[in-house]
Amino acid sequence: MEDYEVQFVDRSERSARFVVRPITPAFANGIRRAMIADVPTFSIDTVRFIENSSVMFDEQIGLRLGLVPLTTPPGEFERGDEVTLSLDVEGPETAYSGDLVSSDELVQPADENIPIIDLKEEQRLELEADAVLDVGKEHAKHQGGVAVSYRHLQAVEVVGDAGEFDDEEPEILRGVIEEQAADAAVETGGYEPENGQLVPTEAFEHDLTNRYPGKDVEVTDIDGAFVFDVETDGSFSVDELVVEAIGTIEDRATELKESIQL
Amino acid sequence: MELRVIDKEETELAIEIAGEDHTFMNVLKGALLETEGVTAATYDVNPEQSGGQTEPVLTIKTETDVDALDALEDGADRVIEKTEGLQDAYEAAV
Repeated sequence: MEDYEVQFVDRSERSARFVVRPITPAFANGIRRAMIADVPTFSIDTVRFIENSSVMFDEQIGLRLGLVPLTTPPGEFERGDEVTLSLDVEGPETAYSGDLVSSDELVQPADENIPIIDLKEEQRLELEADAVLDVGKEHAKHQGGVAVSYRHLQAVEVVGDAGEFDDEEPEILRGVIEEQAADAAVETGGYEPENGQLVPTEAFEHDLTNRYPGKDVEVTDIDGAFVFDVETDGSFSVDELVVEAIGTIEDRATELKESIQL
Repeated sequence: MELRVIDKEETELAIEIAGEDHTFMNVLKGALLETEGVTAATYDVNPEQSGGQTEPVLTIKTETDVDALDALEDGADRVIEKTEGLQDAYEAAV
C-alpha cells in the first residue's frame, strides 16, 4: 500500500484545508474532480404543486427547491433512490428551506434559513417534491463539494538581506508555506517560527515582509506536496466527501480489474 | 464501465473504456507510468472529429516480457494501492 502523509491546516465540519504528500498531480486532480462531480447528493428533482398562488411560476420555484442542499449520509442510499418532501406555507410569511418536511429522517435540508419565496396575504404554496440521489456530473445541483481546489505547498528561502535603502515593498503570497527559514522569521498570527511548521499566509497578512522582516526571500513550490482546500454545501462533512471521492476512484479501479479478468 | 479491445498484441494494447472521463483515465495513466514493465501509456478522449468516437481510448506499450493486459491489471492495482493508502492517511489525520 502506498504511504501518504496528511496534515490539517484548518478543519471544520464544512470546510477544511490540508496538505497531502507525496502525491502526483494526476492523482491530486483525480480526487479534486471526483469531489466535485462524482460524489452523489440528494437534490429535489420533481415537484408536484398542489397550490401555488405566489408571484412566481411553478418552474421557478422548482429550480429554487432543486438548489437546496439536502443531507446525504454516505453509504445509506444508492444512486437513483428517491425521498419525498413536502412544503405547506401560507402568507403573509416567507417559505424557507426549513419548512420542508422530509419523509426520511436522514435526508433533511442542510440549512434551514434559505428563503424560497416571500408570500403575501392570500398567497399560498403547497407542494410535494421528490429528491433523487445523483452526481454532480449529471447536474450541478447534485454537487456536494462546492469549492474544491489544490495548490502546491510552498517553501520560502532567505537569500540575503534586503538592501538598507530599498523601498519597503510588500511581497504578497497566498496559500500555505512550510517554514524552512525559522532563524530569519518572526512570530506572526500565533505561529512561532519553527522549521517544518505549516503556516497559512493569512498568519502574516499574505505579506512575506511581515514574516521575514529585512530579508530578501525566494519562494519555491515543494514537489509532490499539495494543499487541498475543500468546502461542502452541507450535504455531508468534508471528511465524508474526501473519503467518498477517493472511494469512487477506487471503485472504478476495482471494476476495471474485474472486467479485465473476465 | 464497458471495455472494448481495439487492438491487442503481446506488448501493445489499445482499449476503449466507455463511460469514463479524465477523472479516472488520468489517474490510471499516471499509475501505469509508475508500473514496472510499462514503457508507454497514454489516453485520448477523442473529440467528435474522429468519426464519432468519444469514449476514452487507453494505449499501453510494455517491455518484451510483459503482457500488456497484465500490465493494465497491475496499473489498476496500483490505483487501488494509492486510494487505500490515502484514505488511511486521511482517516489517521482526522
